[in-house]
Amino acid sequence: MTLEEEPLLAPPMGAWITPRPARGLEVLQRLVGLPKLVSGHRDLVLTTLKRDLSARFQGTLLGWAWPILQPLLLFAIYYFIFTRFLGQRMPALPESQQAGMGVYMFCAMISWGALGESLGRGTSVIVDNGNLIKKLAFPSELLPLNVVLASLVMMLFGVAIFIAVCFTSVWPRPGLALAWIPLIVVLQGLFTYGIVLFLTTLHVFLRDTAQVVGMVTTVWMFLTPVFWVPELLSAGPGGASVEQHMGLIHANPAYHLVSAWRGALMGDVSLTLESGVLTPVSVAAIPGHLGVFALWALGAYVLGYAFFVHSQRRFADEV
Amino acid sequence: MTKSFALEAEQLGKAYRVYPRPLRRIGEWLSGGRYKGHHEFWALRGIDLALKPGASLGLCGANGAGKSTLLKVLSGTTAPSAGRYRVNGRVASLLELGAGFHLDFTGRANIVLNGVMMGFSRRELEKKTPEIIEFAELGAYIDEPVRTYSSGMGLRLGFAIAATVDPDVLIIDEVFAVGDMYFQKKCVDRIYQFKKRNKTIVFCSHSLYDVRQFCDQALWLERGEPRAIGDSVYVTNEYASYQRHHITAVEEAVRSQHPPVPESQRGRPADMPSILDARIYRLGTDEECYEVKSGDSLEIRVWWRNPRPALTPIQIGIVFMRGDMTLCGGQATHFQDVRLTGTSGCLVLKAPELGLLAGQFLIPAILFDDAGVHRYQEFMMPQNLHVRSHTREVGLFRLDLAFEQRELAPPAARAPVPAAPGP
Repeated sequence: MTLEEEPLLAPPMGAWITPRPARGLEVLQRLVGLPKLVSGHRDLVLTTLKRDLSARFQGTLLGWAWPILQPLLLFAIYYFIFTRFLGQRMPALPESQQAGMGVYMFCAMISWGALGESLGRGTSVIVDNGNLIKKLAFPSELLPLNVVLASLVMMLFGVAIFIAVCFTSVWPRPGLALAWIPLIVVLQGLFTYGIVLFLTTLHVFLRDTAQVVGMVTTVWMFLTPVFWVPELLSAGPGGASVEQHMGLIHANPAYHLVSAWRGALMGDVSLTLESGVLTPVSVAAIPGHLGVFALWALGAYVLGYAFFVHSQRRFADEV
Repeated sequence: MTKSFALEAEQLGKAYRVYPRPLRRIGEWLSGGRYKGHHEFWALRGIDLALKPGASLGLCGANGAGKSTLLKVLSGTTAPSAGRYRVNGRVASLLELGAGFHLDFTGRANIVLNGVMMGFSRRELEKKTPEIIEFAELGAYIDEPVRTYSSGMGLRLGFAIAATVDPDVLIIDEVFAVGDMYFQKKCVDRIYQFKKRNKTIVFCSHSLYDVRQFCDQALWLERGEPRAIGDSVYVTNEYASYQRHHITAVEEAVRSQHPPVPESQRGRPADMPSILDARIYRLGTDEECYEVKSGDSLEIRVWWRNPRPALTPIQIGIVFMRGDMTLCGGQATHFQDVRLTGTSGCLVLKAPELGLLAGQFLIPAILFDDAGVHRYQEFMMPQNLHVRSHTREVGLFRLDLAFEQRELAPPAARAPVPAAPGP
């Protein structure tokens, strides 16, 4: 019996199972082996993903219309309320990009929404499924993966809605930059998964984690340029210069993520001001942002998964 | 498969860490392991196992002896703290019936969901879904959300899934204790079939009878440590005799060997077999009697009813049990190849020159299924049997013992006997 025939069990069948926690080479094998694990358990992953998604709309009147309605409503809010009603605009926008500020917020919101949702739901996913962990032997890393995948799928509904909206006159149609989206999604998934793995493991041992994560996520969202344009910041509190601001902002992985999303979805937005030309959104900047973000994603994944794998065997005793 | 063992364990142990408060854990992390903020509770220690394919192991022991912990470790839900184990083949465990059901989904959807959780493929499950539905007997309910199920229905579905997917090793935690009589019987049959197909079973039960019937081997655990391991009849007898000597444990023995037959026959179809009455008479007469002398001749009559003999063939057993639960003797129709045909009848057990010595004896008549595994009913005689003896012999039985005196020289010194491998 070869291993290829039996991809379903995490430790190879018939191997000795000892009390030694996974470390070193073993952790590395698990890190690299995730795609194999997922493909071996693709039935489980797909079934639970489907379950998770349909559970959200089970029993609702509109059912599967919701994932389409939700981003549509979100877009309407940012477009009509912020742009039209409240008149939130970037200065000196070109004629075709009058809705710039609303679209700017929306594009970050769909991406941030997925990240925030994953952190919120994912932190407690192991503890919440304690009954499963205690009674069934299955790779528990698939539980947080499920949370992350579900949020990514919901995000992609938002992306699709935005692209559909661009066929009206609200925003110019996006171009070839859309080709970046698969890579952005993969990196966002990796980043989110890493953080969720870390937090959910921590939460098993320290139940205060979920409380803290809720608050930190909110603060993080406001620190990330979701609702404001960093390039348009004037001198900040304490007289910090714009350059200093930008330094701090660049240290935030979520900034690189939302910037890459905006570039891919919105194309170029440049503002010709008296002080010079600002490009808050640009396609050309995508590779730079993604490069930095890829490092963050890899780091988060390695750290989070290593912590998870190291502690995994104690979950059933602690939840 | 060239590996000779389906399941092996070497000095397996499991300790739980107990932290008095969460701060201690942080202290442990910060000190990098130098400070120990927890104490360990060993739920299991020093377990050695080697089960060949087709073997079955029953676990017995008091509550908290580590039976469930051992099953949890072997099924892979929790990691061992000492020793090691390995399983050659696929494992399905039934630690709790219906663990992992999603209440909002239909029974049909939950079959796939539950099965893939155990590591079986969707294709495999879809192929087996009709069989599972048939076994669970849920009818049209299979397409209703599990939320609407009664607890018994959820349970039937859970067992049907675990029993129908085809594992090499099946780990079961006390599942016969649940469900109505009719479904229990189905479960027992299914597990028997499983055993016949050379699959390995590990299960725990408070019923020593079940352990004896199902398992070739048994492991008696006490406070997490093995007290005895080996042939199931030997181990269960050891365990039972140990229990008798511990007054606190006696009550448990009574309960485990004789689970109360539910008063109400709720949920049990009216056409299930049953014992109508049972009484003791002097042999060959119609004189009912419960006070006898050693050496008297008796007969025990059992009136039974079985509306569907083809569907539910039955066997009847009668045992003599002393007041302190010592099983003194017994006989059953499946031991003597007596067939109980027809829909009703009266079975007579003849006991000429009863060899029992003084004591008070309980005499239950037990209605079994065909294999003598599942107990449909346990019928107690209206009174206990009181036996008086007029000799000064000691013990339970009157054996054919007699003395004689001879003129013989003492034998030569014996070579030392190697110690028998004890438990």
